Amino acid sequence: MMKKLNFVVNNRKYSIEVDPRKTLLDVLREDLKLTGTKKGCGSGECGACTVVIDGQNVNSCMVFALDMEGKEVITIEGLAPKSGEIHPIQQAFVDHGAIQCGFCSPGMIMSTSAILEKHEKPTEEQIREGISGNLCRCTGYVKIVDAIQSLAENK
Amino acid sequence: MDKLNIVGKSSFRVDGIDKISGRSIYPQDIKLKEMFHAVTLRSTVPHATFTLNTEKASKMSGVVKIFTAHDVTGKNEHGVLFKDHQVFMDRKINRIGDPLALVVAETLKEAKVAMKEIEVLYNELPGVFCPLEAMNEDAPKIHGDSNIIANMKLEKGTVDFSKCDVVVENTFKVPMVEHAFLQPESAVSYIEDDKLVVISSTQYPHWDRFELSLALGLKEENIKVLNAAVGGAFGGREDITSQIHVALATKTLKKPVKITYGREESFLAHSKRHPMTIRMKIGALKDGKITAMKNEILADSGAYASWAPSVLRKAMTHSTGPYEIENVKVNAKSVYTNNPFTGAMRGFGATQVAVGYEQIIDQLAEELGISTYEIREKNILRIGSKTGTSQTMYNSVPVDRCLEAVKKEMEIIKKKPVNKDMLTGYGIALSIYGTGYGNGFPDVSSNIAKINSDGKIEIFSGFTEVGQGAKTVMAQIASEVFNTSSSNIIINCEDTDKVPDSGTAAASRQTYNTGNAVKKSCEKLKDIILNLAQKELGLNNNIGLEVKDELVYLRTLPSMEITFKDLFSKYKDELSSKGKFVAQTTQMDDLSQGAPYWPYGFNALGVKVEIDPATGRINVVDGVFAQDVGRAINPRLVEGQMDGGFVMGLGYALYEDINLVDGEIKNRKFSSYIIPTAKDMPTLKKIIIEDPEETGPFGAKGIGESVTIPAAPAILNAIYDASKVRFTKLPVTPIEFMKKFGNKYD
Ligand code: FES
Ligand code: FES
Repeated sequence: MMKKLNFVVNNRKYSIEVDPRKTLLDVLREDLKLTGTKKGCGSGECGACTVVIDGQNVNSCMVFALDMEGKEVITIEGLAPKSGEIHPIQQAFVDHGAIQCGFCSPGMIMSTSAILEKHEKPTEEQIREGISGNLCRCTGYVKIVDAIQSLAENK
Repeated sequence: MDKLNIVGKSSFRVDGIDKISGRSIYPQDIKLKEMFHAVTLRSTVPHATFTLNTEKASKMSGVVKIFTAHDVTGKNEHGVLFKDHQVFMDRKINRIGDPLALVVAETLKEAKVAMKEIEVLYNELPGVFCPLEAMNEDAPKIHGDSNIIANMKLEKGTVDFSKCDVVVENTFKVPMVEHAFLQPESAVSYIEDDKLVVISSTQYPHWDRFELSLALGLKEENIKVLNAAVGGAFGGREDITSQIHVALATKTLKKPVKITYGREESFLAHSKRHPMTIRMKIGALKDGKITAMKNEILADSGAYASWAPSVLRKAMTHSTGPYEIENVKVNAKSVYTNNPFTGAMRGFGATQVAVGYEQIIDQLAEELGISTYEIREKNILRIGSKTGTSQTMYNSVPVDRCLEAVKKEMEIIKKKPVNKDMLTGYGIALSIYGTGYGNGFPDVSSNIAKINSDGKIEIFSGFTEVGQGAKTVMAQIASEVFNTSSSNIIINCEDTDKVPDSGTAAASRQTYNTGNAVKKSCEKLKDIILNLAQKELGLNNNIGLEVKDELVYLRTLPSMEITFKDLFSKYKDELSSKGKFVAQTTQMDDLSQGAPYWPYGFNALGVKVEIDPATGRINVVDGVFAQDVGRAINPRLVEGQMDGGFVMGLGYALYEDINLVDGEIKNRKFSSYIIPTAKDMPTLKKIIIEDPEETGPFGAKGIGESVTIPAAPAILNAIYDASKVRFTKLPVTPIEFMKKFGNKYD
């Protein structure tokens, strides 16, 4: 039985019918066609599906979409102030070479956004801790940490 | 060499903006109209004959068709070297995870529900899971009448340890490990104008097309493979997984079909790194000169051969490391078992043997009473040296410079304060990696360079961007030739209908092979442009004509100019040129003597580890990595490879191990198969060593494999330095550490 869900994604209000067993990740990817958020495991172990919900980074594969009633979700597609523009975090990732295959990148960038919201000027340790739930098999995390540090410095 | 403008600069990634904005399309992101979904039924036992009953399942709601071996329209087989895989099993199951059937349904949920209703009746056969036992006469046979896939030998000089002053031996065991690329396999297929189109994430689209054509019974020209974004590969996307299944379903049902694996299925579906047992014996004279080495390698290929002979050849020829040794004898075997199959993974056999040769050389130094640097300095390959296969190193052999750079930096690292509560140790390792398929195989890359109607340069080549930055590197090579920004180069590499075959994105061959093909075709195209400009400008010859930013001008009179766009409007068909590059290697003789690979890349790594003596937890806390690149086309990309390669080697040394029980992978999740996180990565100083390779594009060599090799042995040498316990079996988990370390001090 489908259920009604009212929530905000990337500043846009949605009122949709969803399957109550569906995760937020699947609703984002399948129902809203926001495929920027990735599925690397579907069981809360890789962070590829990270989105920001009311300022917190959350693995969207681990929450039911219905639990989002009345909440505000930001995904990689909604991070930049305007569509077609690039958010400073995204720019820092490009500038520092923090991307390789790109599959972890949307989740990594969303975790970064939550780190920077939590800490005015995060230390290296806070950065590493903050992205420790986001696996990356390509970069060794070094350039990702560099990119986030550059944002902390410029704050 | 002329001054370089673009090569050597850290240009931005061609695919960067798409990747950070979530716009890159991986196959799982694709949804087509009226698309069916498919799931794969896999065997749950390792060795058996079986019968299937799909009757009930096929009547379930939403089910369109259940495919089994009977439905394969071409040959029911595939495989990179031998066709020992089946599209769907028809006779015998050889491992847990073998595909038995494909359920195609209107929705994914319906496909999954129906799959549970397929009845499988197994008639289990005795299995064999140990490669040693698999070689016994009476062992159960996996394919044919012997489990031995390859048995190779290498002989140079005469190994006689009685002539050595010091002899050391040891046996090293390296585990089966997983690529763990973040993007699980996915494929989508559909029909477009009578063509079967398959979208997937692969390392080699043209090879996939060939395998699809055999299994489907279609001509290659009736199949188009589109490579979507690839979420990491590391060798694990070389063997076909879901591609034939989706394509077969689309071919039969004439509808789009999609398959996406979950993480656990991804663990089951693709190859793994070969576990190996490596016995090494090495002897030297009093002065530290190594004169003899004898190695025996046994590799478990699991249920299928995949790349086994090639991996084994690389392991065998690289088992002497970056050292010149006069007398060498190696025997290497690879066998079938009922374990998961193993194949290509970053380093391709060269990674495994380094765990041995870089530890045994430290042991040898200790016996001789000389430093770990001195023993290496005395024996490393230099210009004019001969490898274990008697191949002459004639240029670009900067092993000494890599070692020197690490030595200097390690002195600084050693002066830093140490944590008194921890055991602290320092270790180094060197490595060697030979590029390409090798052994005389015609290793071809092709490229077409063209000018388009906007006057822009387009390159067409079937290489693969797996994350390493190949698109950016090829754009930089082209832009260097044309003296323009790399963002002005349009790269086409995804569509087998549009681009020529450029071989696989493996064996560190794309920068070297395809880079050379791109450079050649661009240089030819530039000549064509200069000649046409001469004609158009009414000049006597093309002397002094230059290109810059899609324009040709006369250096002595720059107002004499013509744009590429104007040339295109008149000479459209002439503005295209082909480039082809074939690497120069030879097939080795019966004793494995010859020139099997070229070029060779080298590196040196130094690390500092801290071990908690109470828990056995090992942390790598500092390091320095010197990497030979020939020439760095893009230093930032080179550094990215060094970081990523290092951390993969760190996982190999300390955490990663496929846990097998009777052929079943018990750890098929990231909560039980542990890969390094951001908290595990130390500060790593990176030093790029440039020593241009004569035959490389602008002197460049590939490094993607090489960068992973020295990490594990350097870490193990540091663990020894800290604890005086030599670990010969990977990974050194806290439990393994405490077992050995505790025993020593109890
Ligand atoms: S997909 Fe959600 S944590 Fe991996
Ligand atoms: S860039 Fe490939 S997983 Fe992070």
